[in-house]
Amino acid sequence: MSDFVEQCRREWKRLGVPDPLAEEMATDLASDLADAEAEGVSAEEFLGNSVFDPRSFAAAWASERGIIPVPSGRSTGRRRPFVLVAFTTLATLTLVVAALLLATGQPTVSLVATRAAQPHFVPSPPGAFVAPPGTSRQVLLHTDTAAPVEWILLLLAVFALGFAAWLWSSWGRTRPPTAPA
Amino acid sequence: MVPPSPRRTELLRGVLDLCLLAVIDEGPAYGYEMTKRLRDRGLAIVGEGSIYPLLGRLERDGLVETYRAASNGGPPRKYYRPSSSGRVALALGVSEWRAARDAVDAVLAPVKIEVAS
Repeated sequence: MSDFVEQCRREWKRLGVPDPLAEEMATDLASDLADAEAEGVSAEEFLGNSVFDPRSFAAAWASERGIIPVPSGRSTGRRRPFVLVAFTTLATLTLVVAALLLATGQPTVSLVATRAAQPHFVPSPPGAFVAPPGTSRQVLLHTDTAAPVEWILLLLAVFALGFAAWLWSSWGRTRPPTAPA
Repeated sequence: MVPPSPRRTELLRGVLDLCLLAVIDEGPAYGYEMTKRLRDRGLAIVGEGSIYPLLGRLERDGLVETYRAASNGGPPRKYYRPSSSGRVALALGVSEWRAARDAVDAVLAPVKIEVAS
């Protein structure tokens, strides 16, 4: 069983547990395991399933004591809202921008720039206003459809907000409860 | 050694902190001594994992107090005893446990258990 204690020591060192605390826990564990062995109690009976996973055991003990931060698997519940907040904010902004563009009707005209140095001739679309010649030329295109880009943005934003709402409700259901008093 | 059923494991997980507070309320004890007291009452904690993380949480939450003392000529051991807030938590927890147990018993009591031979 000294091997189990040694593996715990290594894990505590790796996790940055201060040496005095690691030594205290290792000493207590070794003494208890020696007592158990003297009374014919197996390590598995005493430690349960933990005996097969010393690293998790050591990390759980240290984190429950508050010596190290909660392991990454358990901190997901705290990290997730940051991602959700960012996603929800982005979706909301997209929705607002799309709605504003639709309201003002500005982007019904799109600007297409073409290079004069292109190897083959690109004819101007019919009805287009051709800018004065230079190193490049710009063509203003009047789109007939009612601002398709804005509608696509709007739809995407609505779907994204719906997805965000589902994620929020899902997170609320799976969030671990606070520790009992 | 027969592994405990998952249901038993889940049931005990919710009350193991109360059991630990109860056995150290009888008198201060170190880690292995607590498991011995539990085992003497038929509560082997096999499968529920070690008591150490749970003791760590009780200590962090201020529900237990600790001190070091020699034990039977061996190295100094870390003894645990409930703090005043630990005793309050124990009383509340026992009350909750009894209420839950009685409610579940009221539902399950009429069930007749027949084991096919």
